[in-house]
Amino acid sequence: MRLELRDIRHVYSPRTPFEVEALRRVSLAVEPGEVLGILGGTGSGKSTLVQHMNLLLEPTSGDVLVDGANAATLKKSELRRRVGLVFQFPEAALFAPTVAEDVAFAPRRLGLDEGEIEDRVRQSLSLVGAEHLKTRSPFALSGGEQRRVAIAGVLAMGPEVLVLDEPTSALDPEARGDLLRLIRTLRQTGTSIVLVSHDTNEVVEVADRICVLDKGEIRAIGLPSEVFYMIPEFAPATVQTVSALSDIGYDAGSPVRFEETLRALKRLVEG
Amino acid sequence: MADPTSISCENLNYSYPGAPGPALSGVSFEAPPGEYVGVVGPNGSGKSTLLRLLNGLLVADSGMARIGGRDPKSEPFEVRRRVGMLFQNPENGLVAPFVEDDVAFGMENLGVPREEMQVRAREAIRAVGLSGYERREPHTLSGGEKQRVALAGLLALEPEILLLDEPTSMLDAAGRRDVMGRIGTLRGDRTILHVTHHLGELLDADRILVLNGGKLVADVSPERLVLDADLLAKNRLVLPPLSRLATGLGLAAARPRTPEELAREIQEIIRKRAAAR
Repeated sequence: MRLELRDIRHVYSPRTPFEVEALRRVSLAVEPGEVLGILGGTGSGKSTLVQHMNLLLEPTSGDVLVDGANAATLKKSELRRRVGLVFQFPEAALFAPTVAEDVAFAPRRLGLDEGEIEDRVRQSLSLVGAEHLKTRSPFALSGGEQRRVAIAGVLAMGPEVLVLDEPTSALDPEARGDLLRLIRTLRQTGTSIVLVSHDTNEVVEVADRICVLDKGEIRAIGLPSEVFYMIPEFAPATVQTVSALSDIGYDAGSPVRFEETLRALKRLVEG
Repeated sequence: MADPTSISCENLNYSYPGAPGPALSGVSFEAPPGEYVGVVGPNGSGKSTLLRLLNGLLVADSGMARIGGRDPKSEPFEVRRRVGMLFQNPENGLVAPFVEDDVAFGMENLGVPREEMQVRAREAIRAVGLSGYERREPHTLSGGEKQRVALAGLLALEPEILLLDEPTSMLDAAGRRDVMGRIGTLRGDRTILHVTHHLGELLDADRILVLNGGKLVADVSPERLVLDADLLAKNRLVLPPLSRLATGLGLAAARPRTPEELAREIQEIIRKRAAAR
């Protein structure tokens, strides 16, 4: 599915002294099967933006389009099934006595038959590498495990677009690595992914395209190599190092991801 | 005179009620006054438990903890007066309508006289670089600023020891730099124990304690830790990207603080190689 936001403006508490314009005329598309990384500091509008993707928030003006059709005309339940949103700290919403029951909750509400529900629970738990936790209580799991189970709950709806808002925050480096691997796996299954993060170093390792938000506006959107060499303050350590080398007269090309950058730097050093 | 050891633990053990195994077992270390000690390890390794035992939020099952020579078990109030703890979430700690009231809140509870309170609040606000913010409302501040307000509230109590429990984990890159910059200026005058998942924040620490499965598995300098691939891997520790690039290129120091520093180190090898030819 192609998800498009067109000219989205969002004002919180309009016509009150607390009025805040969180988004001003933002337009972008999530292309089928891509990983779109959304970067920006606190207060840049990242979370407000992604909550428009399944109309959890309605724009003050502008449109959300699903394969060209206005999303406002779709049933909310259908839209939310097709565009899955995983909030920051999704584990806070875990509630069932076992992991399997927790993950089964949303597909059951879709009215699927038990066999189909069971399949989906198994598939989504296996995608996040948590099948072995099926019979456990979600409350007795580690932080990283809880996070993955919560994501499985959204995957069980079979979304075509998965929006992850700061999915790695407060996880340890290993659990972070697991999540990035999960994003790569999901991408291979054809799911589009929107990854919101303030950790540029992490986003570059999985994103096909990057969108940088700043004060409710898009600063840049495009291929990582274009965006990061254009806006150094949002660039990952890899790009910043290559740029610093170019400032003192050494050309290492325009690599972005870690392994690619290390290879380029080795070539430079070895002459 | 201050006690020669600021923090001292011997064979500390703690299990959470109902948990299958101990959260902390047999942990011993000492830190002299003014030392900056990093604490790292995977989720569930016992890092936060250690901090909570040191300020008396938890009481050890066995073993000994001493803060400036005092036992948090028998003198919890004395110990808490000497220890300030900064938590992950900057939102949780802020209680008052204005920054200066928030910073003064802890002192009010201790019955510090009003005039002294004002002086100490202003001084603490200055120390975290927020002079001019006294009458701002905390909810209008950025995450990094909120965390600095929380830090000022601790400093106003003049603690001998600061316990930092992942103080930057909820902040964006700018907030993280902001808070880390401030913490850097507080070194030396007080003992700091800093728990984090970001090894990059500890490259200048005096030493780093590595916890895993509730045990203290290493007590090393940052210089040694960044080059010890085995120790890093075994404890699921990941170096910051600049250090990983440096080690990948075989650079000796492997602790570049900025991209510019790494670029100069690379320039250095290129020149050396050219000269050797």
